Amino acid sequence: MVPVSSETTVALPAGVALHARPAASFVKTALRFRSQLTVAANGKAANAKSILAVLALGATGGTALRLSAEGDDASDALQALAGCVSGLIE
Amino acid sequence: MSNLVGIVLVSHSHELAHGLADLASQVAGAEVRVEPAGGGPDGSLGTSGDAVREAIARADSGQGVVVLADLGSSILTVRHLLEGKTNGHIRLVDAPFVEGAVAAAVMSSAGQSLEDVAKAAEEARGASKF
Repeated sequence: MVPVSSETTVALPAGVALHARPAASFVKTALRFRSQLTVAANGKAANAKSILAVLALGATGGTALRLSAEGDDASDALQALAGCVSGLIE
Repeated sequence: MSNLVGIVLVSHSHELAHGLADLASQVAGAEVRVEPAGGGPDGSLGTSGDAVREAIARADSGQGVVVLADLGSSILTVRHLLEGKTNGHIRLVDAPFVEGAVAAAVMSSAGQSLEDVAKAAEEARGASKF
């Protein structure tokens, strides 16, 4: 398959920061895919497969996360990540 | 449970090893075996080869074990213990203690290989905190 790139934006649920367990849940979802996955917030971009990079974003509840993916499973990865973010609980 | 890479945390301090194991487990989830080996035999500051050996045995579910150590002689203790065991199944990594433990535990919890878990710990050195 030809590598594709795509992106989407999804907001963190109100009151759920991307720290500790929510961040780990996000990273675990990202690790299921082969594509290169990036999450950007607050003017910073992070490798979505790195817990330390995701934690360093310091994204708080309600923050818009810009998700981008590049690879042969890019669209599946974005769908899964967006679903993960929407469903995060504290 | 499960066939996940185990993590062993070797510290001079019992509290530091246990506290970090709690933190890493809390972030990564309870399915990863994160085993502390901290303090000397009598509860003082120090490291114990026996405690490290037991922690490695508890952490090992067959997929390998990544060992992180805090400073100086805790590294020597692990090295001494692993001497001659060169099959690479137990891997001492050169990584920041806290960040490396959390990165390794999360990587393991996602079912990644020993190689990838070790790499995540080592790459923690270059990670900015904010």
